[in-house]
Amino acid sequence: MVVSRPYLPRTPAVKPSRGTPWLFLSPFLVLFTLFYIAPVMYAGYLSLFIKKRAGFGAAKEVFGGMANYVRAFQDTEFLSSLLNILKFGVVQIPIMMLVATALALVLDAAKNRLQGVFRTAFYLPYTIPSVIAGLLWGYLYSKNLSPFNQIVTALGGGRVDFLGSDIVLWSIANIVTWTWTGYNMITLYAALQNIPTDLYEAARIDGASPWQLTRDIKLPLLKPSLLLVLIFSIIGTMQVFAEPFVLRPLGYVPDNITPNTYLYLVASRDGNFSYAATLAILLAIFTFLMSAVFLRFTRRGGEL
Amino acid sequence: MKKPQLKTALLSLSALLFAGSALAADPAFPKAPAGKVTLEVWSWVPGLDKTVAAFEKAYPNIDVKVTNLGGGPQTYTKLLTTLKAGTGAPDVAQVEYGFVPSFVDTGGLADLSTLGANNYKKYFVPWTWGQVSPDGKAVFAIPQDTGPFAMVYRDDVLKKYGIAAPKTWAEYEKAAATMYTKSGGKVKMGNFYATFAPWFMALAWADGGQFFKRDGDSWVQTLNNPSAKKVLNYWYGMIKKGHVGTIQAFTADYWNAAGAGQVASNFEAAWGPGGYAGSMKDKGAGLWRAANIPQWTASNTVKSGNWGGSSSVVTAQSKNKQAALLFSLWLNLSETAISQNWTNGGLFPASDAGLDFAILKDKTKNPSKFFGGQDISSVYATASRGVNVNFQWAPWFPFANDNFNKQMDLMLKGKLTPNQALDAWQRETLAEAKKQGYTAR
Repeated sequence: MVVSRPYLPRTPAVKPSRGTPWLFLSPFLVLFTLFYIAPVMYAGYLSLFIKKRAGFGAAKEVFGGMANYVRAFQDTEFLSSLLNILKFGVVQIPIMMLVATALALVLDAAKNRLQGVFRTAFYLPYTIPSVIAGLLWGYLYSKNLSPFNQIVTALGGGRVDFLGSDIVLWSIANIVTWTWTGYNMITLYAALQNIPTDLYEAARIDGASPWQLTRDIKLPLLKPSLLLVLIFSIIGTMQVFAEPFVLRPLGYVPDNITPNTYLYLVASRDGNFSYAATLAILLAIFTFLMSAVFLRFTRRGGEL
Repeated sequence: MKKPQLKTALLSLSALLFAGSALAADPAFPKAPAGKVTLEVWSWVPGLDKTVAAFEKAYPNIDVKVTNLGGGPQTYTKLLTTLKAGTGAPDVAQVEYGFVPSFVDTGGLADLSTLGANNYKKYFVPWTWGQVSPDGKAVFAIPQDTGPFAMVYRDDVLKKYGIAAPKTWAEYEKAAATMYTKSGGKVKMGNFYATFAPWFMALAWADGGQFFKRDGDSWVQTLNNPSAKKVLNYWYGMIKKGHVGTIQAFTADYWNAAGAGQVASNFEAAWGPGGYAGSMKDKGAGLWRAANIPQWTASNTVKSGNWGGSSSVVTAQSKNKQAALLFSLWLNLSETAISQNWTNGGLFPASDAGLDFAILKDKTKNPSKFFGGQDISSVYATASRGVNVNFQWAPWFPFANDNFNKQMDLMLKGKLTPNQALDAWQRETLAEAKKQGYTAR
């Protein structure tokens, strides 16, 4: 039986040891190690092997040292996939950020009932799974049935092959912009809503015009959020995969249109898992470098 | 009672009838192993889960679990992953002929010759056995369905322009020019599928083209073989003049153009007409016909090629290989299964006897109905029996398959001549084969 005792104030029986924080961290650490660190380590391990065959039958994976890395730096298909995504990012990210910022500013300034409607409308594309978005756009891009082309031909122009191998990168950029602009807009809009209104009041009393308000108060205060959006966009761009992959059956979309489609094909089509692991690691390093460079660059520009 | 139950009852009744009639005509299958066995089957044949009920009835101790993976590259990724992982693979899986060598190469497929599979070689159309047993000894799969090539054409459109169905490629070229002139370029005689290497290869295959060959301990790859060059130059000539189109296969654009009578003919595998009927629905229904593909020299014997078709592989991981082989043979040789797979999935059989089953010729149903009630299956049966037997694939074919698209894109843009495109295809694919560790030349 449990005997009730009078309440006695007491000091903890066990002094928190050095291990206690680790104990509390362990659920996270175990999962993080198991599902994040371990696969990365395994990919690193895998990338050191190459396939060797003698006659027919299954290939043997033998230790190849840095052979896969040497191959990657000589693989023009892979290098041009990096170039593709670089071109993609340089064009698509600024456009998307500009539009997202403009939309966020407009939404923030407009204080009426339509605000909610527009906010939802702009955000909606993000809620559509990228595979479905790809299929929808695939139809809109089809050479003869595309409504865009029907308008163009009605105006006397020639049909545009949106899925042609020269243009398809930009057709994909368009889908990505369509999907992510609204999402980024919400991030920026939320940041704008957090700006204390007394700042605006003070500025107005000082005679600031709406444009000055935007330029000198809103945009500077928006900078941390813009930076966040930028970094996420760079990382997101490096990972573009679903859109080009969904468009592949509709026309000739090059294997190496993005680094991710290329390494997926190396693994799943050519069965070269170790080389794909190598490419994945290089891609991760490349992404990390890009993000780091931008962080560095923007931090130096203004104090954050 | 409720309708669905009636439907199920009818279905099982018809299955029973099939089973009844099948027993007499079917070859003698190997004995079923004793004891309770469960087989895991991966396939994309529609309705296979119902088809196997007849098998389970005939072999009560074997339980078949069908997983329909829908087909396509993702299916192979999944199979490849399980074979690579050494666990999780099914007992039986559906694999297209062109992809069999790449799976053989993983070491993940069982050699069925050790279980007596070669005794069943005689029941299949000869070329199909070459696809699953490249060296004539080891057997890595049981042939399932096939895609022999025939010409499909719009009878009304050809008549409108006063063109008879061409029997030779010279006649076809002339017909394409005539149609172009008479229609003012609006109607194309044919269409070149620039992103489907197997379509192109089937046309070269019909001419005796060989793309891959095992040679002792190494491989010989000849993607730029004389037949390939002949076929590609022939088509490029017509493409450049605008006499044939280059609309992407299986896209809304293609179905729209074909349905509207803007594509007067094409070369399709035996599974193609079903797709035409399903995709074009009532547009142009009843107006299509099928004929033997044109020959390079006028002749009474039909030489054809093949596009697609698949086989049943047994994985090395299977714990019940004997039962898995029995199932694969039953699935591809019994009248019950062949009939059901034809009705549900339009699978054109690899079984020689199956080519003549009456159910393939049903005029009241598609695809025959869509083709004006013509017995197109006998056209395709002729084609299948005329497919060149010595045709092999290589394990790195999936790469060649995609690289073809790149070269065709460059050719259509005028950056490469047909010969240069084929040479580049050969060169780049061979380099990749070597990188994958193959001894190839």
